[in-house]
Amino acid sequence: MKRSLTLYTTLILGGIFVFLPFGSAAEFSFRDGGANKHSLKAYRWILEQPDFVHYLLVTLKLTVIAVVITILLMVPTVVWLHLRAQSLRPLMEFLTILPLVIPVVALAIGAQSAFPTWLQSTEYELSLMFAVLAMPYTYRTLDTGIAAIPLATLTEAARSLGANWFNTIIRVILPVIRSAVIGAVFIATALSLGEFTLTVLLHWDTFPTWVTSISQQNIVGAIALSIFSLAAAFLILIILNFTIFGARTKKVEE
Amino acid sequence: MKKGELVLKNVSKKFGEVKALDKLDLVIKSGELVALLGPSGCGKTTALRIVAGLEHHDSGSIKINDQNISGVPAHQRNMGMVFQAYSLFPNLTVLENVAFGLKMRKVSKEKQQKKSIELLELVGLPTQKNRFPHQLSGGQQQRVALARALAIEPSVLLLDEPLSALDAQVRTNLRDEIRRLQLSLGITTLFVTHDQEEAMSMADRVGVMRNGKLEQIGVPSDLYNKPATPFVASFVGIANRIPAEVTGKGNVKVLGQKIALSEFSMEFDDGKKVNALVRPESLHLVSESDPEATNGIVAIKSFLGPLTKIGVAIEGYPIVHLNLASKDVKRIEIGDRISFKIAADELMVESA
Repeated sequence: MKRSLTLYTTLILGGIFVFLPFGSAAEFSFRDGGANKHSLKAYRWILEQPDFVHYLLVTLKLTVIAVVITILLMVPTVVWLHLRAQSLRPLMEFLTILPLVIPVVALAIGAQSAFPTWLQSTEYELSLMFAVLAMPYTYRTLDTGIAAIPLATLTEAARSLGANWFNTIIRVILPVIRSAVIGAVFIATALSLGEFTLTVLLHWDTFPTWVTSISQQNIVGAIALSIFSLAAAFLILIILNFTIFGARTKKVEE
Repeated sequence: MKKGELVLKNVSKKFGEVKALDKLDLVIKSGELVALLGPSGCGKTTALRIVAGLEHHDSGSIKINDQNISGVPAHQRNMGMVFQAYSLFPNLTVLENVAFGLKMRKVSKEKQQKKSIELLELVGLPTQKNRFPHQLSGGQQQRVALARALAIEPSVLLLDEPLSALDAQVRTNLRDEIRRLQLSLGITTLFVTHDQEEAMSMADRVGVMRNGKLEQIGVPSDLYNKPATPFVASFVGIANRIPAEVTGKGNVKVLGQKIALSEFSMEFDDGKKVNALVRPESLHLVSESDPEATNGIVAIKSFLGPLTKIGVAIEGYPIVHLNLASKDVKRIEIGDRISFKIAADELMVESA
């Protein structure tokens, strides 16, 4: 009884701490000329902006590409490290922390000078950089997730039962590391949707940078945009959660 | 089940500079269960993994029924393997796990189902077929792993310390069950363990390995009674090492008694200081007046059920252990003075 009381008090206090600013911001975004009148004016204003859909789509596109790069690059790397090159894990640990240690300015300059010119001139260089920026988190999510599974033994069991490498990967490795992969997808998505500094330094415009510049014209509109982006990010993560996690939950219940 | 005779000839394997296997020769007859026994790092697991195709040997040949399988990849070798760690696929049900190998062999769905249920019945788990591995106990998981390995009708069954993660009682039960199944199916089996009791109780023959080589291979009783080397003598069962001296004509003088040297210890010269390897059960209580008696003070007494282990302190010697019937030692307490002698026809010795 006493324990649940403490638990609920903490939850409620934590909830207030997190949701009060959101609630206040949301309330503010509905104001129409004063504290007493509310309307959807600010949201209508967002939709009236000619660049709104354009920047939203740009960011979504860059996010999808960054997630694909992350999965294609990180999943095979971490699986290979666990199966064949355990001794290289400390090195990878070090390498993947670098994007956090190196100042974003240095990363931006590095990217500018290292990428071939054709890549520098397209916004897709951002996707590559998002994947790099997310690496400290995606690597760790995958690494801990996979370390918790006896992947080597499961692989060997599958091989000894007659599965070739293709079947081993499709039927055994991918299903058992799925939740680690989903974790990495979440992180790469969240980071790419909100990345600001590097985008500005590389002189590109995405949804977050557009929000910043447009907010200087209309303060209530800017808050409405923030609430909108937050809700959109939430929605995307929830959809991901239900489409990918959903399949697994159903399977266990059968 | 397809029966298979497994022959390893001159198989060597190095990991860097370490020789894991050193020209290993091993023949397992069709339907036989051979256990490889040895301390960790002796090469027993490497041998098994090479047979499974999960590790590649540097030289030598591996044959099943006279067919060289050295170059055949793991998934085409048709070996059933049970691992030390729990190795069931966590995303599949028990039934799907057992059927996995059949599915890989593109057996029809109905046959997969029928065969898998048959095997689950064989290992006593037909009611668990729709459960997931994490809903089973450790012992049940290993039974399913066994069923899964047997489902593919392997030519050789490979057991890599399958019992070592289990509780003592589950371990004994499963041990007996594996042996029962192996005998009834008549499947050639290679079993790797560091537990000598497990090896001795299950195997037709036991091979003791050390530094990548077979020290001795034979039926359990031979290994116990006629160990070929001091290493085998001390690894299979427990042995006291008692300081002794080789005397003329192949005898050894130990604790005042003169006993014949075993045929494997003949290379020691007269007068050489050695350690005699004496099994705790070869020491018997005698009366103090016996001319061959050794006297000592009881320093340790541990009750082990039917047997009681007594440790005796003798001046100038390490503690000597005796295994005596518990009913005979009821009145012996720590600090008592007792007399005993060695009752063995021959002894093995090693350099002191």
